[in-house]
Amino acid sequence: MAEYKGLDLVVTPTDPEHRGYFEAAASGELVVQRCGACQMLRGTVGAACPFCMSGEWDWRPVSGLGTIYSYEIVTQPIQPAFGDWVPYPIVLVELDEQRAVPWRGGGEDELVSVRLVRNLVRADDPTLPEDEQKVAIGKRVRACFVPLGGGMALPQFCLSDETPEHEPWQATSGRP
Amino acid sequence: MSGLRDKYCIVGVGETAYTRGAGRSTRSLAAEAVRRAIIDAGLQAADVDGLMSYHVGDSTITPTLATDLGVRPNFFADPFGGGSSTESLIGLAAGAIEAGMCHTVAIYRALNGYSGLRLGGSARQGPHTITGSQLDSLPYGLASPAQRFQLAFARHMYEYGTTNEQLARIRVVGSNHASNNPKALYRKRLTVNDVLESRWVVKPACHLLDCCAETDNATCIIVTSAERARNLRQRPVYIMSTVGRVTRPFPDFDADVQCSPITRQAGYYGGRLAFRNAGVEPTDIHVTGCYDCFTFSPIILLEAYGYCELGEGGDYVSSGIIELGGARPNNTSGGQLCEGYAQGMNLVIENVRQLRHQADDSCPEGQHTYDYSEGGCRQVKDVELTMNMGWGTPAIGSAMILRR
Repeated sequence: MAEYKGLDLVVTPTDPEHRGYFEAAASGELVVQRCGACQMLRGTVGAACPFCMSGEWDWRPVSGLGTIYSYEIVTQPIQPAFGDWVPYPIVLVELDEQRAVPWRGGGEDELVSVRLVRNLVRADDPTLPEDEQKVAIGKRVRACFVPLGGGMALPQFCLSDETPEHEPWQATSGRP
Repeated sequence: MSGLRDKYCIVGVGETAYTRGAGRSTRSLAAEAVRRAIIDAGLQAADVDGLMSYHVGDSTITPTLATDLGVRPNFFADPFGGGSSTESLIGLAAGAIEAGMCHTVAIYRALNGYSGLRLGGSARQGPHTITGSQLDSLPYGLASPAQRFQLAFARHMYEYGTTNEQLARIRVVGSNHASNNPKALYRKRLTVNDVLESRWVVKPACHLLDCCAETDNATCIIVTSAERARNLRQRPVYIMSTVGRVTRPFPDFDADVQCSPITRQAGYYGGRLAFRNAGVEPTDIHVTGCYDCFTFSPIILLEAYGYCELGEGGDYVSSGIIELGGARPNNTSGGQLCEGYAQGMNLVIENVRQLRHQADDSCPEGQHTYDYSEGGCRQVKDVELTMNMGWGTPAIGSAMILRR
């Protein structure tokens, strides 16, 4: 068990997937599941491979580098734990390691990537949310880690120094 | 696979008031809605031998409701789920009847969506202890539906240039329709500026007025065979096709952003089944009912089902087409944004009444004026075909085509 922003993050004995994820983070590694049969990577924790149904998998360390594919800014926290964070960004980060793989041959123009939903936090203090003005689709990010104690850490993302992948985009219409 | 076109009908509908603070249990609300639907159909409790309801752990299950009303089911089921359930359960009800398990099914949804489990509101504090799959979202402050769907909404704005003004049009049209609906919780006509000036809930797509009106209510729809329907009180409304719950790849709540295009809705696939099994096309439909938990949902649903091209939904809903008096009105009751959030049931009930030519506006019974100005009529003239497009998430959908 670990505490984060007053929340108790509990990894049960029946949940080796989340344990492995948070423990790798404690040693400074971002890991994703890799299928033991077809080697495809998975962006969210799962019990089998969506590409080949294999139940074999291992942890694959990734670079932690990626691009913001989408984002949002939460201004009304419905979780009291995030009351001191608003407005805070949630980003959908597409990792460099596996991008736009055609799904089942690609007949429906469906492309699968490895994407993580995390917060965009400040590079100088990953316990704080990044300024909403700096969040934009297309910007490059890198993984960073918030120590949780108990041999676990929480991976997050912060802006990197890399050139954006394309012209950064942030919604502008509507009342600021 | 060809469906059960025109073999089953909706013969009764009923609902409670849409309120904030019902002061009643979901059991009490459900009993009222089901009783009203049974009476609407001209049936008695003994004539109903199937009960279905859906829930997210927030309602009253069918054996309890059966006991209260003296219904004796030969079949009941209480599937877990929210949006996308209405049309799905109607299809399942027809399937249960087709299988000989029962002959008449009452489907209800009862929720204290304001007073009890409030999906998007501050009343829901979220668990202090976070475990299992919750670890993939709650530690990042990702909890409410508005927050979960926002990533797809934002991407749609990025890819297609959809604007907050276009989203606001959905609310404005809904409010105009609701002004002619005495049942609606919010009946005041709004402007685009009213929406844009309401406070933000989640940027970039959800001001407060982009979100539906969480309410306490219960709703009920009764399905039976076309043969039985012919002898009942109301003119039968024929079920031409049902779809649901249809999915796109990676439908898990936490994983549905893994597969692009994340702006493409499950309805993109579901529409093929819905239109093929009904034998009609989008241009044949007179009235649509789009799940509108947020203003964005109707835009992406109308795109998904081919009412306009992908990415053109914003222009489409701003064109006047979807308004009363337009070529194909949408959510003529004001929908869940204005009438009240009933997880899609009320959008089907509205289309059933439209097909009966019995929209419950302020016109004298049987004498619709077709004057859609404020406080006036909301019956669409000569409606023959309607379509409902349900929505659970961008990756989970449902649909139904009905005819008079």
